Amino acid sequence: MTLILVVDDDEDLAEMLGIVLNSAGYEVDLVNHGDDVLEIFRANKPDLILLDVMLPGIDGIEICRQIRAESIVPIVMLTAKSDSREIVQGLEAGADDYMVKPFKSSELVARLKVRLRRSPSESGSSLRIGDITIDQVAHSLNRDGQIIGLTRLEFDLLVALAKEPGRVFTREALLSEVWGYQHVTDTRLVNVHVQRLRSKIERDPDNPELIQTVRGVGYKAGAVR
Amino acid sequence: MKRFIGSWRRSILLQVTSSSIIISILVTLVTGTLLYGKIRDGVYREKNQTAVSEAQALVNYTQAQLDATRYRTDIVLSTVISGIFKAKDVSPTTSVRETIMLATPQTAKRSLKYQGSSNKVLISTIPQSLRMKVRKNFFSQSIRVQIRYADRPGESIDAIAIGRVVGIPPKDIYEIYYLFPLTQQSQLIGLIRGYLLGTGVILVLMIGLITWYVIRRVVLPVREVAQIAEQLTAGDLGRRLEIRGEDEMGRLAISFNEMALSMQQQISRLENLSRLQQRFVSDVSHELRTPLTTIRMASQLLYDARSTLEPSAARSAELLIAQIDRFETLLSDLLEVSRFDAQAAILQTADTDLKPLVLKVVDQLQAHDSQSFIFNAVDHEFRAVVDDRRIERIIRNLISNAIDHSENLGVTVTMVQTEHEVAISVRDYGIGFSERDAERLFDRFWRADPSRSRVRGGTGLGLAIALDDAKLHQGTLKAWGRPGRGAHFVVTLPKSPGIPIRVEPIHPVPVEELSTLMANLDSEDI
Repeated sequence: MTLILVVDDDEDLAEMLGIVLNSAGYEVDLVNHGDDVLEIFRANKPDLILLDVMLPGIDGIEICRQIRAESIVPIVMLTAKSDSREIVQGLEAGADDYMVKPFKSSELVARLKVRLRRSPSESGSSLRIGDITIDQVAHSLNRDGQIIGLTRLEFDLLVALAKEPGRVFTREALLSEVWGYQHVTDTRLVNVHVQRLRSKIERDPDNPELIQTVRGVGYKAGAVR
Repeated sequence: MKRFIGSWRRSILLQVTSSSIIISILVTLVTGTLLYGKIRDGVYREKNQTAVSEAQALVNYTQAQLDATRYRTDIVLSTVISGIFKAKDVSPTTSVRETIMLATPQTAKRSLKYQGSSNKVLISTIPQSLRMKVRKNFFSQSIRVQIRYADRPGESIDAIAIGRVVGIPPKDIYEIYYLFPLTQQSQLIGLIRGYLLGTGVILVLMIGLITWYVIRRVVLPVREVAQIAEQLTAGDLGRRLEIRGEDEMGRLAISFNEMALSMQQQISRLENLSRLQQRFVSDVSHELRTPLTTIRMASQLLYDARSTLEPSAARSAELLIAQIDRFETLLSDLLEVSRFDAQAAILQTADTDLKPLVLKVVDQLQAHDSQSFIFNAVDHEFRAVVDDRRIERIIRNLISNAIDHSENLGVTVTMVQTEHEVAISVRDYGIGFSERDAERLFDRFWRADPSRSRVRGGTGLGLAIALDDAKLHQGTLKAWGRPGRGAHFVVTLPKSPGIPIRVEPIHPVPVEELSTLMANLDSEDI
C-alpha cells in the first residue's frame, strides 16, 4: 500500500485530504504541527509527502530542506499564495511540485499519481548522457564508477532528456512529460529543477554540458562521450 | 551666443546684473553728457567775457598809443605797433594773446598799407566774414577760429577772435584782431571729460558689482531651495535646507523644511497603508483559500456520489459545485483588483508571440460556444515584450464578454501591428451599449442591464481587470458600442515596455460603422 504523509495545520483540510486520498486508494498519515513532521517521516517512511508551506513550528520550507538532506522521497508543496517568491523558495528547498489552494481533488490525485509512478523500465535498458550512465532498473546514476544520488523527479527529468538525445524539449513538453501538466506554462518549475539537476551532475554547473539551454526554446541533452 | 542666451534665460543673477549695467550705462551717459556740456559752456563763456573786456582795454590802449605817434610811416608804425603787441599790464588780467592789425582797404588805397601780426600768425587765420563784419560795424562778437602760424605749418590752435578798429589820425582806419588761445580751457575741459568718463566707468562697474552681489545673496539661497526641491521630487525625501539666520531666507528654510517633513510623513504613512493593504490582501488570500479547498473537495465528493443521493440532495451537490467555481473566480478577481489598488501588481515580461496566445484563447472559448468566430491576423508573427499571463487574461475577458453579449451573431477577433504597437480588437454584433454606458463600462461590478446579466456568470470585474492589465503595460483599452449594433473593444500594447503608444493600429470605431457615420454626415450636409 502506498503511504502519503499529509502535513497541514488546518485540521479540517487535513482530514478532507485524508478522505480524498483514502478513497483514491492511498494510505494516509496526518500531521498538523511542523515540529512533528520529521519524527513521523523517519518512523513511517512515507512514499510521498504533501506539505503545507505555512505551518506552526518548523515551517514547510525548512522541513522540505531537512527531508531532502536525508531522502529522495517526492515532496508536493501546498501553498495558499500564487506569488513567485514562496513557490520558488519551496522548489529550491527541494519540493518536486506544488499545488496552489484551492485545487480540485481530481487535480491533486492526478498530480500525485505522476509523482508516484515508477519510470517504466524498458527491458533493462541503460541510457547514457555525456559521461554518465543511467541505470533505469536500479534507478541509479554512474560516472566513472561513482554513484550520483538524484531525487525521483530529477531522475525522471534526466531520463526524459537522455531518451531522445537530439531533441530540444520546450518547457511545456517537459512539464507534460515529467510533471503531468497539460496546457500549463510554468517556467519556474522547470528552471528550478534543471538548475538543481545541473548542480548535481554537471562538472561545472555554470557551463553546463549535459543539459544544454537552447535559448528561447528550452533544453536538450548533451552528446554522449 | 546661443549658450549665453540660454544661461541668461535660466539665471536671474545674469538677467538683473546685465540689465542694471545697461541702465546705469545709459544714465551715466546722459548725465555725463549734460554735465560735460554745461561745464564746457561755462568755461568758454567765462573766457569769452575776459576776452571781450581785455580786448576793449587793448583797443583803448592801442588807440592812445597811436594817437601819440607822430611819424606816420610804415616803419614808424610797425615799431610802434610791435611795442603795442608786446604790451603787458594793459588790463587787470592780461592773458596770452596774438594780435593782427590790418589796414582797411580804403586806408590801403589811400596811404599806408601796413599789416602785421604777432609771432608770425598767418593773416588768413581771420576769416573773411569776420573782416567784412568789422569793416562794416567797426566791431564784432567773439568767434571761434583756428590760429595758424607761418613758421609752424600744420599746427593750429583753438582760439577766440575779437575784431575792432583803431584809427590813426587824420583818417586812416585799421582793423585790429585779438586772438585768445583756448589751450588752457581745452586742457581743462579735456581733463574734466577724462574725470567724467572715468567716474562714469567706475560708477557703472560699481553698480554692476553691487547688483551682482546683492542678487547673489538673494538668488543663491533660492537656487539652493530649487536644488533641494528637485532632490525631494526625485524621491530623496530626507533632504533638508540648512537654516542660516533669522531673516526671510531663514524663515523660508524653516517652512520649506517643515513642508518637506510633513510630505515625508504623509508619504511614509501612505506607504505604510499600502503595505498594510498588501498584507491584508495576502492574509485574506491565505485565510480564504484553505477553507475553500476543503469546501471544494467536500463538495466534489458529494457531487461524485450524487447518484446515491436523493434527487434534491443530488441537485444541491450540483449547485454547490457550480457556485464554488464562481466563488473561486470571484475571489481571485477580487484579489487581483486589490493587488492593482495596492500597486502591488508586477509585470513579468518576456518576448512573446501574441498570435498563438490569442488563437489559444479563441480556440478554448470557441469550443464551448456554438456561434461563428472570425480571426483576422495578416502577419505571421506579433512579437512584443509582455506579461503573457495578463495579456491572455485581457483577451479572455474581452472575448468572454463579447460572447455574453453577442446574441449568437458571431464574434470577430482582429490583430494588427505597427512598428512599435500591437492592437487586438474584439467585435460583436449583439446588444451593444449606449454612449452613456460607455463611461461606466470599466467600473467594477457594473452591469449594463441588471435584468439579464448573470446568465453567463461573469464576475463583473473582468473589464476592470482588463483595463488595469492594459494600463500596467502602458497600453490602452478602448470601447465603442451602439445599442443593437454591437460593441468593439480594442486593446493597444507597446511592443517594448515603457514606451508610450504613439499610434493606434485599430481605431475604436469599427470600419463599417465609420462608413455609416460618414454617410450620415454626408446626408446631413445635404
